[in-house]
Amino acid sequence: MPTEGLTWVPSSWPVIICLHQSPVKLEELESDVDTLSEASRQALYLLFTGDPALWTIIGISFAVSLRAVIFAAPAALVCAFLLAYIQFPGRRLAITLFNTALSIPAVVVGLTLYMLLSRVGPLGDLKLLFTQDAMVIGQMILCFPILVAMGHAALQATDRRLWETALTLGATPIRAFLTVIHETRFGLTAALVAGFGRIIAEVGSSMMVGGNILNHTRNIPTAIALETSRGSFAQGIALGLVLLLLSLALNLTLSSIQGKGEVIP
Amino acid sequence: MTEMTLDPWLTLWKLSFSRGDRIILRDISLSIRPGDLTLLTGHNGAGKTTLLRILSGLLPPDYAELEYHGSKHPYDRQSRSFLRRNTCYLHQQPYLFDATVFDNIAYGLRRRGLCKQDITERIKTALQATDLEYLAQRHSHQLSGGEQQRVAMVRAWILSPQLMLLDEPVANMDKPSRRKGLSLINHMRRDGIAVILSSHDPQHGELEITRHLHLYQGSMAIKEQQELAPNPGIVTVNHRFPSP
Ligand SMILES: Nc1ncnc2c1ncn2[C@@H]1O[C@H](COP(=O)(O)OP(=O)(O)OP(=O)(O)O)[C@@H](O)[C@H]1O
Ligand SMILES: [Mg+2]
Repeated sequence: MPTEGLTWVPSSWPVIICLHQSPVKLEELESDVDTLSEASRQALYLLFTGDPALWTIIGISFAVSLRAVIFAAPAALVCAFLLAYIQFPGRRLAITLFNTALSIPAVVVGLTLYMLLSRVGPLGDLKLLFTQDAMVIGQMILCFPILVAMGHAALQATDRRLWETALTLGATPIRAFLTVIHETRFGLTAALVAGFGRIIAEVGSSMMVGGNILNHTRNIPTAIALETSRGSFAQGIALGLVLLLLSLALNLTLSSIQGKGEVIP
Repeated sequence: MTEMTLDPWLTLWKLSFSRGDRIILRDISLSIRPGDLTLLTGHNGAGKTTLLRILSGLLPPDYAELEYHGSKHPYDRQSRSFLRRNTCYLHQQPYLFDATVFDNIAYGLRRRGLCKQDITERIKTALQATDLEYLAQRHSHQLSGGEQQRVAMVRAWILSPQLMLLDEPVANMDKPSRRKGLSLINHMRRDGIAVILSSHDPQHGELEITRHLHLYQGSMAIKEQQELAPNPGIVTVNHRFPSP
């Protein structure tokens, strides 16, 4: 049912409708809760047997979120660098704004983007609504402030002599910038991981501008929302497990990287 | 050949620098010739670091004029980039990149686009000349303060800049390292590099100092080599360029 997503995404408030779309009767819910362990068992089965529907959803999640982080990172790095290294009027205000932007709810980003991209919106001609590209844009907006704020914190902590040393040894400013980035790689990796962590599990924006279309824009969080509303918990749990495992893997990687960076005997 | 007949590589005119309403350097003029070894002294806070940073193009002054390539220039972007390309500033506490000693020293050579083999060779020679070979593959975090200073000095020296600006280069060193450090500085001078080194300790017996600048309350007193008190460490003018 490839158009299923479209049927329950209305023009104004998809999430609410989504939860009402296939109401779960109370008796059903109780019996489902009884079989929660059964659902978990089924979930593991789905995961490890490589259930194609499940893995398509996981693939979409990764494709979208990785693209979002990769596209947002260069501009965010430059912003973070400017905030940390260049004195300009309004710098403190800009830092405050980025820190505030950290807590913008995903649904607000989704709603705003939805209005911009919808057929009657100012960017409607781009025909981006309910595409992966729209999800990527939403997630870029969501992870940008994290990348800037954490990147800024990491760069602010670097030694000013690093920049000067690079310059005095003959590096061009651009090359010196790259050297600073390289020296700050652990902190900046942490920023990337945090940014990715924020958007991989984000449901509000993806749901609104992606539309939760099967095999196209249905990612892990929107699928969980849908499966749960339908009462089919096994898929939901399986996907939740994937998110958990992912988070574990990311943090293990990060702490091992940072562990290496810390060795100063 | 006396140093008076050598054309200055760079002349600085009317340099002034202030922070807020505090004047730190006032109307300083100075010319720099290849092979000069200038000792810059002054109290803590006299402005030694400030002057060296301005000369290296890292810190723009309030006002200064520069004369190089036979013409006068304001201290603008172009002049700053000229200074950055032709001078090397060594911090009072040097910064070493998070990498091996070899990679640290290679940094500047790589920026000059030298080929790999050439870089390796030059670094080997430089480390041999300074008795630091044993550190080549050591990570910069695993060096003592004195070793860090010597590595940073080699990293700057290997670029043979026109002007070397050393900010208290031997301050963290013990006697043997200090001797090696000072001899490296003499070596730089003999290579025809103009060296300015700051210190609040005027006792640098082994250094072949040709000029002594003293900063006091923003102004500068200059003693040329001839006027310097007899000092066994100072070479006579005739010996200034031993064949390399
Ligand atoms: N970023 C800054 N803001 C304000 N004042 C500064 C700044 N940096 C240096 N100064 C002041 O400028 C003056 C000169 O400093 P500078 O570092 O050049 O002294 P110095 O001669 O190198 O001293 P030291 O022997 O302690 O290294 C000092 O009085 C210092 O307080
Ligand atoms: Mg100083």
